[in-house]
Amino acid sequence: MTMRPSVRDAMLAAVPSLRAFAISLCGNVDRADDLVQETLLRAMANIHSFQPGTNMSAWLFTILRNLFRSEYRKRRREVEDTDGSYAESLKSHPEQQSRVEFEEFRVALAKLPPDQREALILVGASGFSYEEAAAICDCAVGTIKSRVNRARTRLSDLLSIHGADDFGPDHATRAILSAGGGRGG
Amino acid sequence: MQTDVRSTKPAGRLSREDQRRLGDILQRVYDDVVKQGVPDRFRELLNELDGAGPGANAVTERKDAGETSSGSGSLVGVDRADESSEKGPLR
Repeated sequence: MTMRPSVRDAMLAAVPSLRAFAISLCGNVDRADDLVQETLLRAMANIHSFQPGTNMSAWLFTILRNLFRSEYRKRRREVEDTDGSYAESLKSHPEQQSRVEFEEFRVALAKLPPDQREALILVGASGFSYEEAAAICDCAVGTIKSRVNRARTRLSDLLSIHGADDFGPDHATRAILSAGGGRGG
Repeated sequence: MQTDVRSTKPAGRLSREDQRRLGDILQRVYDDVVKQGVPDRFRELLNELDGAGPGANAVTERKDAGETSSGSGSLVGVDRADESSEKGPLR
């Protein structure tokens, strides 16, 4: 099928953010890109159900999120093994200074329950309103708010963000080390 | 009515300052990926999907040959030295 240039452009424009969301969800760049690809294919196959004038980005996020959820159910055990790939994906980050911070943050993020993680990302990073996030996650606005709040509290615990001048590396570093070394398979 | 007022309520026992710090890091981690833009893989995918209709015969040849026409497919590279099969564009 041929798509209107505007539709294609809107899809392309959404890709960077979709990738960031996908990586946040599954913690693995390769899998995230596969997820984005599947999202685009799914979107194309169902392009007739997209209503022009509505938010293309939110529509794609919804598809991606649903794909991830169904995959997550299938691969739960694998998905929990994300710390190593987070650490690996960090090699790409150029700024030495903030690398530790990034590592710790990503590892901590991976420890959040998926519900909380997706809510936090959608509202706190992707720039969706609570209402949009609720629509994407198919739940009530109040539910999103409470998930975001719990996610923040949990993250700050994991990162020892409050009270300290810097993040305690303990949890995160241990996770990276144990993920990187001596895993039998 | 307003839904995106972020700091009216304290989140649990987090201060606004802590929330802000968390928010900053989250945004940076996220933007770090966003800044990578659109990998070729997705541009090509959309081109192919778009071209699958009438008027795009160049792309249809690839059917029997996998992704060879684009050159950057990770499955090909047979005559190149097969390095550790890491994908190029993702760094």
